[in-house]
Amino acid sequence: MTSEQSVNRYRIQIPAFLQDTLDRCGKMYGIFSTEGKIGLAVFLIIILLAIFAPLISMYPPDKICGRSLEAPGPGHLLGTDELGMDIWAQICYGARMSLFIGISVALIAGIGGGALGVLAGYRGGLADLVLMRTVDVLMALPTLPLLVVISAFLGPSIVNIIVILVIFSWAKPARIARSQTLSIKSNAYISAARMFGGSPAYIMRRHILPEILPILFVLIISITSYAIMAESGLAFLGLGDPTSKSWGMMLHYATGFKSIYFTPFWQWWLLPPLVALIALLLCLAFIGRDLERVLDPRIRTNGGL
Amino acid sequence: MNSKARQDFIARFVITLLVILALNFFLPRMMPGDPFSTVSSDVQGEDVVIMTEEQQAYYYHYYGLDLPLHEQFVLYLSNLAHGDLGKSIQYKMPVINVILLHLPWTIFIVLCATALSTVAGAALGTISARNRKSGSDRFMMAGLIAFAEIPSFLLGLILLLIFCVYLRAFPLAGAVTPFAQYTGFIDYAMDVLYHAFLPILTLSLAQLTGVYLLTRNTLITVSTKDYIRTAQAKGLGERVVWTRHALRNALLPVVTRTGFVIGMLMGGAVLVESVFSYPGIGSTLRAAVVGRDYPLIQGILLVVAISILLCNLLVDRIYEQLDPRVTE
Repeated sequence: MTSEQSVNRYRIQIPAFLQDTLDRCGKMYGIFSTEGKIGLAVFLIIILLAIFAPLISMYPPDKICGRSLEAPGPGHLLGTDELGMDIWAQICYGARMSLFIGISVALIAGIGGGALGVLAGYRGGLADLVLMRTVDVLMALPTLPLLVVISAFLGPSIVNIIVILVIFSWAKPARIARSQTLSIKSNAYISAARMFGGSPAYIMRRHILPEILPILFVLIISITSYAIMAESGLAFLGLGDPTSKSWGMMLHYATGFKSIYFTPFWQWWLLPPLVALIALLLCLAFIGRDLERVLDPRIRTNGGL
Repeated sequence: MNSKARQDFIARFVITLLVILALNFFLPRMMPGDPFSTVSSDVQGEDVVIMTEEQQAYYYHYYGLDLPLHEQFVLYLSNLAHGDLGKSIQYKMPVINVILLHLPWTIFIVLCATALSTVAGAALGTISARNRKSGSDRFMMAGLIAFAEIPSFLLGLILLLIFCVYLRAFPLAGAVTPFAQYTGFIDYAMDVLYHAFLPILTLSLAQLTGVYLLTRNTLITVSTKDYIRTAQAKGLGERVVWTRHALRNALLPVVTRTGFVIGMLMGGAVLVESVFSYPGIGSTLRAAVVGRDYPLIQGILLVVAISILLCNLLVDRIYEQLDPRVTE
């Protein structure tokens, strides 16, 4: 058997659905702009860091495994903090924290808020009125000071932070899902579906949801980056979960160190979490903008302006 | 603004204020435990009760905690109306005094940053709109949009590392040089500006993109209007058409946005001040959080929230003055 044949045989063995998915991924990849592609690549790297943190970090993030404030070297890739904990390990495990909080907040707020918006928009009446008033008030509240106060009182834990961030971020998806539902509802084919006896649940699932999902998806990405930003801000103020080392907590400890700016320590203690956070947020923004361009029909027809 | 919209607006203002007051009032009371049943001991497993039941009852009565909840709420509101926000645990003085001590610094940098970001954003937006689709326009768009994604406190940290730590061009902390002897007001003002420069720059950079995009997009929309073509057809100079006809109309939404910008900056100042150890209420809030100084935390939230709401109200009034169509 020649090598060419073996390659052919190998290719045939790929299942059809996998081939299909690969094709689609390729097509999806093609629509990304250059910075979108960079964003996607770096985002994937950060996800891999988070998943394989125990394999690539050599040390656990919360064990003292070196001298205090060691400079970067072969023993400790990025040096150690004031307690002698490995910084590279903290960066890897910190990626887990930031991604976990960001993605779970975005999924709960995006899907929950979206569902509420669709229901309110479709049903109308009192529920709609109450929901919209709540959304109005929530959007008028000054977010950051309230976040600080509520998390100060509820006490710092991952669950509390997620709950608080969800409370402050479901309003936007709800409002957008509602207005989209209202405009879709007025179409003739919805009336037709209703005439044929389609139940509200069927119409929402079959006709309204598929139209709204792309926009919701873009919103979910923007909520993810908002949540990551808010979590790091809260952690920076000292309101993060003290048992976890998120990137924001690293910034908090590093800037809280008395003489951090007068010593070279900031170069390996303060800089890595700072760079990691900015990279993650920029990547999410690039990915979000590209997806928005592709998925949001309003922007597409206007030629991107 | 007609009376219906105005009523709506005021209703929303009042509801938002009430929600903030209610949160401020109920949050501490929803927490388990109370200040008088504090148990402390150096030896683990051994509880030391500080007060007897009688003493506890006395203090409950003294602080009005034995009243029904709604009466407590009314009491709280009346105290607020008298400017009584409680006593700070760390500073050992009334919360309102602590806030008044630090608020001017915050207002100072927020107002400077608002002015700077609005002027610079509008200017850049105008330049961009006039040279639409050119290289400089695209460059500015891409650059500023990417910039806007970096949260202000991370941006502040970068600026701090570059200018204060690496270049040593600006001070690391504070609002004035300690123990400085000033020869006059100008000397003092220069020192204040020198300390406030980086916080102001950070805050303005965070808001610049929003103003820039708004100016650019409204200008482009306005420039397609008929009255612009009329002005051009009348033979008016390019500069007059842009400044008197296009820009004047395009800047209206920018003015409205100013209120929003001030609000965002008051929130952002909390984190940015912490970065630069600037002695405004943001740094005070961080210190209060670290020291678990709950009355101070609540007081600051209230002051920040009310000032944001007032800004929105104020800008609404200014907008009416600027746009005669609104008052009609």
